[in-house]
Amino acid sequence: MNPIRVFPEWRDRPLDQVLGACRELVENANFPTVKRWRAAGGKVVGHFQVYFPEEIVHAAGVLPFRVRGAPIEPLQSDSRFGSYLCSILKTSLELALSGRVQLDMFVTHPICDAARNLAGVWGRNFPYRCQILYLPQNATSPSAPAYLRGEYERLLHDVEAVAGHAISDDDLRASIAVFNENRALLRELYALKRRAPWQVAMDEAYVLVAIGGMLPREEHNELLRWVLPELERRTARKLDRIRVVFEGGFCEQPPLDLIRAIGRSCYVVDDDLLIGLRWILEDVAASGDPLADLAHAYLHASSYSPVQHDARKPKEEMLLERIRGAGATAAIVTAAKMCEPGLEEQVGYVRALDAAGIPYFVSEFEESMTSFDHLEIQLETFVENLMFD
Amino acid sequence: MTWTAGIDIGSTYTKAVIARDGEIAGRALEPTGFRLAAVAEAALARALEQAGIGRGDVEYTVATGFGRHQVDLSDAQVTDLTAAARGANAIFPGTRTILDVGGQTMKAIRIGAGAKVESFRLNDKCAAGTGAFLEKTARYMGFGTAEIGPLVATSKDSVPISGVCAVFAESEVINQLSQGAAPADIMHGAIVSLVGRAVQLMKRVRMEPEFTLVGGILRFERMIDVVRQELSSEVNVAPGDLVQFTAAYGAALLGLSRLRKLRGQSVATEAAA
Repeated sequence: MNPIRVFPEWRDRPLDQVLGACRELVENANFPTVKRWRAAGGKVVGHFQVYFPEEIVHAAGVLPFRVRGAPIEPLQSDSRFGSYLCSILKTSLELALSGRVQLDMFVTHPICDAARNLAGVWGRNFPYRCQILYLPQNATSPSAPAYLRGEYERLLHDVEAVAGHAISDDDLRASIAVFNENRALLRELYALKRRAPWQVAMDEAYVLVAIGGMLPREEHNELLRWVLPELERRTARKLDRIRVVFEGGFCEQPPLDLIRAIGRSCYVVDDDLLIGLRWILEDVAASGDPLADLAHAYLHASSYSPVQHDARKPKEEMLLERIRGAGATAAIVTAAKMCEPGLEEQVGYVRALDAAGIPYFVSEFEESMTSFDHLEIQLETFVENLMFD
Repeated sequence: MTWTAGIDIGSTYTKAVIARDGEIAGRALEPTGFRLAAVAEAALARALEQAGIGRGDVEYTVATGFGRHQVDLSDAQVTDLTAAARGANAIFPGTRTILDVGGQTMKAIRIGAGAKVESFRLNDKCAAGTGAFLEKTARYMGFGTAEIGPLVATSKDSVPISGVCAVFAESEVINQLSQGAAPADIMHGAIVSLVGRAVQLMKRVRMEPEFTLVGGILRFERMIDVVRQELSSEVNVAPGDLVQFTAAYGAALLGLSRLRKLRGQSVATEAAA
């Protein structure tokens, strides 16, 4: 397993300082952990939101780095994209153009037209491989498993070329085991959010998930193994608050301060923030053909989002299920500005929530927004109308 | 008998109200300063003393005001909008539009059935639309905040003050003084300017009568007169210093409402079991 550790700041410190260190890391648009990884001689494959089979990169001893934009000014990348496109595209490319992150390969997905075109735009600016991983458009097709396995194998060969060595099935199985543990720990974190949301604030849970995209996964597991019992043990006051599900954070991410502001108004007991890191819902089998096992998990044991079309998972129904499963009484339905999939899905969500009689709050956000006062006060007023009716 | 508490941690003053079955039994006011938790504790302690009860007797506490998230003695936190709406509606049940002018904020709120907030507008992040504008104007002329009321009561006319900016108002005030304008008339002009901004906010929430005024700045009689003139309508103002406690009182009432709802849910759950 990978011996490189790039985030020493959390070790041997009390919980509050560890959470503070995680927050600083997540907000640091210079991605120091990626730099440290490279300084130790490691290679990096950047992958755009939403889902990516990181196990394949990890098995090569390469760092899978989740490219999820950043709250930075798109000074150079602005010239590569139209003003009608979402912010995350521009700031993701800006990270590379400005030298904040250096990659050895970049992968994006056809989750929307803009994201699909990102590989082409990215590739014109850098000499390394830039490609699209074509996840199946029809997940229920009988040929989808074989097709997706083929895509994964194609990706694997490209990653092997970056790493300079072959990836064995045993390498893949070992990586699947690491990621299975990671997913189990994240499920535990979300179980705590649902069971005792006062023990872990919304922004705390968010940073604990988000740093997984910028650390070796073994290190993320070590951190979560230590943090979770500490969160359970901490003395936190239970407030009288509405339990809410947050929907709309699957790709572009709201600013951390906005997440914190939302968490002050209500208990967010479940969400789709960074859903790609929690996309696979169960352990992936690690005994058969590992690429086929990964493909199976994507197709048959995965969450939902506006960018995957799967008739078995009607998104409106899935949202209602998420709300009921978390014991929530209301929903916050958001979308990033200019995000076509997210904004389109809002229509269906709102109709389903109306039909189910579940109150909801609709809004938009942008990763670069800096003023949340008005949105926070609107949300608080919405919550108060529910609490004090 | 149910005791609830409401604490309004405003930018200038912190107010605490103790309510017994929804009736005010104790209240206290402290300058907020910068130690929010300590001042909230102090205001609550004084209000409890006045009500003749201890902390343990209070079954539900609601915090409101700009510092509501910084204190750790409440069961719930609510915006000033919801708290002011509930308080104003309790004192004047016909209230449909509320103007809340505090030390650093101005809010226009339209409410519906059950005192629910239907629409609201806040002033921009600018002192020109707040009590701070009046305080600064008074200070430029050598008067303290407590002297604003008596000073403006002697005004015979109002001197136009643009009110665009509390900082630039200083030069305007100096200019008016140098031309011989009376401080009382300048103060009156500042109030007219402030009310002009307030009415703009009220229009944006599509105001409807009855109008109720709340907030510390509304303790100045002349301010109330000017609002009345600008709206060409009667306005409700809580008697005495209650105008300053409206949001804290509303918070205490919200606590009672929440307690009753939770008890109802608990009874329903037991009955179902």
